[in-house]
Amino acid sequence: MIEARNLVKSFEQTRALDGLTLTVPDGAVYGLVGPNGAGKSTLIRHLTGIYRQDEGELLINGEPVYENPAVKKTIAGIPDEIPYWSQATVDDMMRFYASVYPGFDRPYYENLGKALELDGKRMMRKLSKGQQKMAAFRFALAQRPDILVLDEPLDGLDPVNRRTVWGLILGDVAERGTSVLVSSHNLRELEDVCDHVGIMNRGKMLLERSLSELQENMVKIQLVLPDGAELPESLNVLHEGQTGRVRQLILRGRAEELSAEIAACEPLFMDMLPLTLEEIFIYELGGMEHEIKSLVL
Amino acid sequence: MIQISYRDPRPIYEQVKDGFRTLILTGVLHPDEKMPSVRELATQLAINPNTIQRAYRELEQEGYICSVPGKGSFVADAGDTAALRKKELLMRLSEICAELRSLGVEESTMLEYIRGGKQHD
Repeated sequence: MIEARNLVKSFEQTRALDGLTLTVPDGAVYGLVGPNGAGKSTLIRHLTGIYRQDEGELLINGEPVYENPAVKKTIAGIPDEIPYWSQATVDDMMRFYASVYPGFDRPYYENLGKALELDGKRMMRKLSKGQQKMAAFRFALAQRPDILVLDEPLDGLDPVNRRTVWGLILGDVAERGTSVLVSSHNLRELEDVCDHVGIMNRGKMLLERSLSELQENMVKIQLVLPDGAELPESLNVLHEGQTGRVRQLILRGRAEELSAEIAACEPLFMDMLPLTLEEIFIYELGGMEHEIKSLVL
Repeated sequence: MIQISYRDPRPIYEQVKDGFRTLILTGVLHPDEKMPSVRELATQLAINPNTIQRAYRELEQEGYICSVPGKGSFVADAGDTAALRKKELLMRLSEICAELRSLGVEESTMLEYIRGGKQHD
């Protein structure tokens, strides 16, 4: 479990984190979404123990991270720029990680090499950006971490490799209950892999939710009511539109209960449609600035 | 085995659930056959394991599969799935009958069709 409470971090005049709060439950795949400059990478550098906060508290399984090797050995991180020594091969870097992380799993590292089609004898600097990312995934997964922190992990990966890498990560989540925190500026990229989403802007957390909870608490209904009939007042309508005689409503509540309530008005036609994650967030973020919506969605 | 489409507006857990329900009802998956493990599916489809667990949980509640602790999930007994299939088809029949009734078709006419004697005019 990762918990951040009222984290503040300033760099000269800029407040990169401004009272940020975050909770990542064990075994969750948590998507951290926000526009450029929202503070995602700054937060991630706190989670991996690189930065120390000015104020607030950051706990991983109840313990602070900064300069705490006992906690840090359970965390594997992939930064946006992959670090390596200029003369190092992929296997040289592996030996470095294996010397630092006590839980490093050499046989698993070899298997990952096959799955990712990556030759350990190649020089890191001669690999493409995407191949360096793949190498970094190999180092990180072979550490057998409890917590995996990924900063913009999909940059530079082609669709086939994205899928392979996500397959390996999610298999690990299913098998070992790894918690994953992954940042992106694009919600759509994370839709199929995450079960929790946090939306950040200007150093603050705007919204933190579990996806199943979101999906179960909002419904889109198309209906035609008989002339003169009115919908019950009790409905919590988030949005309403009309095309010809068909009314479209976005309602907060559970599908079964709402359909029973509306069926009482004897509609001539009624259809319930699932909402996409994108639609859910548009209505959840309702009152928020347009700029955030357009960047995040 | 099943496909996830990102263009499909249904949530992913529903796609997984509907996909397996179809495979079971059409007999592609046999009774007592082992379902893929959550880990296998998560790796293969690159989707969140909690999503798969949720789909499996609902399939179990609806009687399509049963889980054996420590061994995984299995397709439910043939009698059970046949009963579910019957229930599903009857539901569809009652929807069709309701629509025919609203169009003013007499029940006697419907019955003729149900008995199978009547062909299209």
